[in-house]
Amino acid sequence: MEIAAIQTHGLTRRFGELTAVENVTLSVAQGQFFGFLGPNGAGKSTTIKMLTGLLEPSAGTVEILGQPFGAAALELKRQIGVVPEGMALLGRLTATEYLRFVGSMYGLDRDTVNRRTEELLEFMQLAGDRRKMVTDFSHGMQKKLALAAAVIHGPKVLFLDEPFEGVDAIAAGMLKVMLQGMIQRGATIFLTTHVLEIVERLCSHVAIIHQGRLVANGSIDELRAGVASTLPGAESGQRLTLEEIFLSIVGAGGGEPVQELSWLT
Amino acid sequence: MADLGAPASEGFAPTGTGPFGRMARGQYAALAAMRMRLFVNGLRSNDGVFELGARAIAYVVYGCMGVGLGVGAGVTAYSFVSRQMWQLMPIEFWVICFVWQAVSVALASFQEQFDLGGLLRFPIGFGAFYGLCVLFGLVDASTLLGGLCSIGVLAGVTIARPDLFGWTALGLVIFAAFNILLVRAILAWIDRWLAKRRSREIVSAIFLLAVVSLQLLNPALHQPGNSRLHGRAARNAAARAMADQVRPWVKYVGAVQAWLPPGLVAVAIEQSAERETAPAMMSVSVLGLYALAAGGLLAFRLRAEYRGENLGEAPTKTKADARESGRLIGGAGPISAVIEKDLRTLTRSMPQLYAVCVPMLMVFIIGSVFRNGFTGTGHPFQFALPICVAYGLLGFAQLMYNNLGPEGKGIQMLFLFPVPIRTVMLAKNMFHALLFMLVALISGLLACLRLGPPSALLVVTTLAWLAFALPANLAAGNVLSITMAYRVNLGRIGRQAGSQANALLSMLIQMTLLGVGAAVIASCTVFDRLWLATPILLVLSAGALFAWLKILSNVDAMANQRRDVLIAKLARTE
Repeated sequence: MEIAAIQTHGLTRRFGELTAVENVTLSVAQGQFFGFLGPNGAGKSTTIKMLTGLLEPSAGTVEILGQPFGAAALELKRQIGVVPEGMALLGRLTATEYLRFVGSMYGLDRDTVNRRTEELLEFMQLAGDRRKMVTDFSHGMQKKLALAAAVIHGPKVLFLDEPFEGVDAIAAGMLKVMLQGMIQRGATIFLTTHVLEIVERLCSHVAIIHQGRLVANGSIDELRAGVASTLPGAESGQRLTLEEIFLSIVGAGGGEPVQELSWLT
Repeated sequence: MADLGAPASEGFAPTGTGPFGRMARGQYAALAAMRMRLFVNGLRSNDGVFELGARAIAYVVYGCMGVGLGVGAGVTAYSFVSRQMWQLMPIEFWVICFVWQAVSVALASFQEQFDLGGLLRFPIGFGAFYGLCVLFGLVDASTLLGGLCSIGVLAGVTIARPDLFGWTALGLVIFAAFNILLVRAILAWIDRWLAKRRSREIVSAIFLLAVVSLQLLNPALHQPGNSRLHGRAARNAAARAMADQVRPWVKYVGAVQAWLPPGLVAVAIEQSAERETAPAMMSVSVLGLYALAAGGLLAFRLRAEYRGENLGEAPTKTKADARESGRLIGGAGPISAVIEKDLRTLTRSMPQLYAVCVPMLMVFIIGSVFRNGFTGTGHPFQFALPICVAYGLLGFAQLMYNNLGPEGKGIQMLFLFPVPIRTVMLAKNMFHALLFMLVALISGLLACLRLGPPSALLVVTTLAWLAFALPANLAAGNVLSITMAYRVNLGRIGRQAGSQANALLSMLIQMTLLGVGAAVIASCTVFDRLWLATPILLVLSAGALFAWLKILSNVDAMANQRRDVLIAKLARTE
């Protein structure tokens, strides 16, 4: 039996009286492009933080490539790449310096760091701005740099928190190609985004978290079938979009009409 | 429940214009309420309570310093006025003006200041924005110290000559307004200049050039074969010759300074004492013009900010250069990577450069004071070397005691890298230690250049103290960096989110280390056994080294235990 890339059991995180993530159990197989969806404040970022070892779970376990964080934490961190919330860039470095720093911190030798830095800057179309300080980058450029930093060490598992937010259409297209290439070479990608079309196009499996609880988990077809069977008006054979599935599951589709704000011009 | 069916124009309070209009007043109230909520919410955590306690202690300390300075200023003013030494009055006001400005800039990086730029997304008028900027500027240590000095002067003058109360009070109020506005203007302009990389590099270069120039001035002003060799008579003769040379310049400077704000207050008081009402009114009016000019300078800067100038994302005029930026240091692996990153960050961060370099400049001044017979014995103070070296190290407080602060959001990456935090801390400690030694060397050299070479025994004793102080500072710094970290805005000297608790504790620790060194050296000197100080300090050094290693080995556990808090504090949204 193949070891799961990501495996959680009863993952829970409490902040005082607030339970941000409750009893989340999921398994992501190696080589999967996994979409992790949820409305704002559902617990997506908290979950990613626990999966990447940035946040201690209040209860439950996390295993990445079959190993829990703990004694193997450093070895595990070599295997994962992350674009954390807020991107975690260092504004006073240039793009080149930042990538070199990150590569060195992942233990890559100097030649590899230099070569990959050049390749990534070219790929991300940042080569022309290599000497600008990161703080002077636009949001989209920062996002591309954060992505470059997340993959410079060739991670086996990649965690992406809203990677396409603020990225132009050309770059987004290139990123999709890059990510799909990684999947083809056996990497696992754990993606959170609010752009459901991208998830529908890229991801083979999806989980939906709502109010801290996992409310759906499976392939998109499985979710589609599950939702279609519960919708009284859904015709047989009707192909629901991921957006319809999502809205149906988190309870915002149909139902009560949204109160109109008539004072808005 | 909100009336969602009401028309768009309903629900707004009637707007008044200007900084005192109804809308502005409502905004002030909202701001005050927001600050109060921030204060109350801050008390929910232990850190917040501790921070409040530290701030209270700091303000008591500043208050005591201010009262001390105020009493000194009062006594001096009384002395000058009662003896009618009017020609010396300007010196007192120049000192107060210097303290007012220098303290503000020196403490700007450590004090928590509210960044008003965030308010610009609201419909806030320029007058209100300006008023708030000045108002928030009132709550800082420089205003406290300067204000108490001014009150001291008012008291001193009034006790000596009660009839001068009115004119003195008027002059001091305008003088205070000038200083408050000038401080805000200076800080706003410094932030403006340092916001661009090119400006930072130019300012850094000028600063370093100034330090080197002062060093080169030394041999020019003091010829070889100086006081130590020639004795007191020769020194006095040289001093007289120097005084003769300087006298015309003193006259010239005296005439010019009388038209500058500190001189104008003094002149106004003197003129009122001599019943020259019209000239006194003229002096006070010119002083008022200076205050208006300072206010105008501040308004000019704030107006640009108000109009939406975004310094951080200012477009560069020239296209980015595609040349390769080489590595500053050799080596591979995380330690060299962290050192390289911190070195680059330091060279691009004016607040950090400022903190490290200014004490060296002060060492030059301290050296001059000792050289000119501060002790009254006519001989340079023999312990000037360790004092200058110790002073040179004060600038490391923020670097060592908040060594994770400059990471900002990047702190998350430090926890994501497959590198123990211990290694990161070790790299930072190594970098700071190397910088520490470089600053100590420069400070020592500056002291030697000013005061002549010290005895070999004193050099060894100073090195022994450094061997004790360095690991002790690093050990304490690592603990505070994890337990009391705060985010540092590397592009600004002012408007920082500093931690008073961290500043207070780091100051206490540094004072303790200085005190221990001073006590050991003083005790050994009293018993005429200065040689004994070295082994004692080396024993203490071994203890400090052990503590540093022990703390370093526990750094991962400490950092992981406070990981959530560290990330929340350093990566939080402004």
